[in-house]
Amino acid sequence: MAAPPARARADYDYLIKLLLIGDSGVGKSCLLLRFSDGSFTTSFITTIGIDFKIRTIELDGKRIKLQIWDTAGQERFRTITTAYYRGAMGILLVYDVTDEASFNNIRNWIRNIEQHASDNVNKILVGNKADMDESKRAVPTSKGQALADEYGIKFFETSAKTNLNVEEVFFSIARDIKQRLADTDSKAEPSTIKINQDQSGGAGQAAQKSACCG
Amino acid sequence: MKKKKQVPEWMNSALWSTPSDHGRFDPPSPPPPPPVSVKEDSRTIPTNQNSSPPPFSSSSVSSPTASADDISRQAQAQAQAQVQLLAELSRKVIDMRELRRVASQGIPDAALRPTLWKLLLGYLPPDRALWFSELTKKRSQYKNFKDDLLMNPSEITRRMYNSNSNSAAHDIDDAKSDTQTGLLLSRSQITHQDHPLSLGKTSIWNQFFQDTEIIEQIDRDVKRTHPDIDFFSGDSHFAKSNQEALKTILIIFAKLNSGIRYVQGMNEVLAPLFYVLKNDPDEENAAFAEADTFFCFVELLSGFQDNFCQQLDNSICGIRSTITRLSQLLKEHDEELWRHLEVTTEVNPQFYAFRWITLLLTQEFNFADILHIWDVILSDPEGPQETLLRICCAMLILVRRRLLAGDFTSNLKLLQSYPSTNISHLLHVANKLRVQSV
Repeated sequence: MAAPPARARADYDYLIKLLLIGDSGVGKSCLLLRFSDGSFTTSFITTIGIDFKIRTIELDGKRIKLQIWDTAGQERFRTITTAYYRGAMGILLVYDVTDEASFNNIRNWIRNIEQHASDNVNKILVGNKADMDESKRAVPTSKGQALADEYGIKFFETSAKTNLNVEEVFFSIARDIKQRLADTDSKAEPSTIKINQDQSGGAGQAAQKSACCG
Repeated sequence: MKKKKQVPEWMNSALWSTPSDHGRFDPPSPPPPPPVSVKEDSRTIPTNQNSSPPPFSSSSVSSPTASADDISRQAQAQAQAQVQLLAELSRKVIDMRELRRVASQGIPDAALRPTLWKLLLGYLPPDRALWFSELTKKRSQYKNFKDDLLMNPSEITRRMYNSNSNSAAHDIDDAKSDTQTGLLLSRSQITHQDHPLSLGKTSIWNQFFQDTEIIEQIDRDVKRTHPDIDFFSGDSHFAKSNQEALKTILIIFAKLNSGIRYVQGMNEVLAPLFYVLKNDPDEENAAFAEADTFFCFVELLSGFQDNFCQQLDNSICGIRSTITRLSQLLKEHDEELWRHLEVTTEVNPQFYAFRWITLLLTQEFNFADILHIWDVILSDPEGPQETLLRICCAMLILVRRRLLAGDFTSNLKLLQSYPSTNISHLLHVANKLRVQSV
């Protein structure tokens, strides 16, 4: 495969930027730690501002570098965190299945996305802490599914603790985004999202690459 | 090659990085690093358990090999500082300028820290004759806050009822049974406004439910404060009562400061204060640590509260503008590094400095190091915010070689989980930045 020199150095084919949002305490950081480092801890510190992790995965023979941004849940940080909505290609909306308020707030989070993110951003709904005892559950699976259906997005119940569906969520949204990017490519539109430089917002340096040259 | 502002030689000194190849002259040795001594039960905790220990490569901070000479000089300097601090503290009226000057070199004896921090924060007046009356007044004031603000609404309405019934004659049939059943209100006495289901904005219960949300948030965060340190975390009675104290302080602060209320991260700023005051060797002081910490927290936050205020995010006194000042400070001292970070690799300083600044570095270092850094932040005559910014700038400069060699991802990773470093060096470099900018 004849790759242009600029690409030869890149250690991935696609760079995908994801954002985790949701109320404070629903387990966003735990989900991310489970996915990026394969570990779980109950002793977590509060996320302040915005945090960031990287994991490269392989999908259909392509290396996808996931750059995942973790945000603070409290309203106070909204002016800071919404600045990152724009650059996100996918957003994971996380609630806690044992906390009904966090589920009810998902509608507010979606409104936030509509205001601040790109129109075509991929979204996925995540009900975390699904390992908890049924007696503690406040949001039935069917309610989560119904909300996801209403917005036409995919839905998973996860547990960062038991590693239930964690890989699936990230792979699912990554696959959808990759598909979207490939579609955009094949329509021969100028690519603004295929970035081979490992940089934030480096749209100016985005390398052109058509879907057929892989 | 573009013309760049020369980096001052000392930044490339062998003391914190490998020698540069062009001729360098050694800067004066920094105050030798004291073994950061916190004799209480604090343990060093990794700031970030998921990153592999940063290899201290050529570009990273390398500790100077301390010779026996250095060590004895260091011990001497510490002993001298201790003598000076004790001398200052024993004056009838403490000379705060002198105290700041000595304390900003570090507080070698943790036993002095509680009193020093209270003085430095302005909670204790310089005149020692006033200490007793001042502490008595403040501690009783705090007790009143607790009594007034931590009541649940039934208690409030009960009290209102009591004062009403005391001031005016009343002829409620079941008044007698009221007193027997612990003063339950008879239904007619509760105004519509104060009924639990009232939707009125001024309803006590409405306020109560709003508070509940904040209290839940505080509770969640207090439980997540330094989860690796026994003092703050775990099932021991000790940890539980400390958590309870942190919660109470934050709730009272939120209620008294309705403009800011509670912002996530305040728990982290509060923790070192409470830890230090609670570990006061003076038993009475330790017993009143909660009350004293509350007022110290208010003093400390008065210099930083704009960073916590969302309405000010885009104003000249909010967090964004503070971060911009850090960025300018870096540009002023090390334009090459600034350019590489912000222009070439496009690392927005918000990504790391938001947390550094709002939390006063409490999530970046282990606990003993935090106390050491705070000694300087609290005592430096330039004030906490300026000092903090200089320390943040020094943190960047200390890892400049790794940053200059890094791309967006590696730089952001490095700055979001800052490598453990020699704090005395860090503070020395930060101090140099002041000298440079004068």
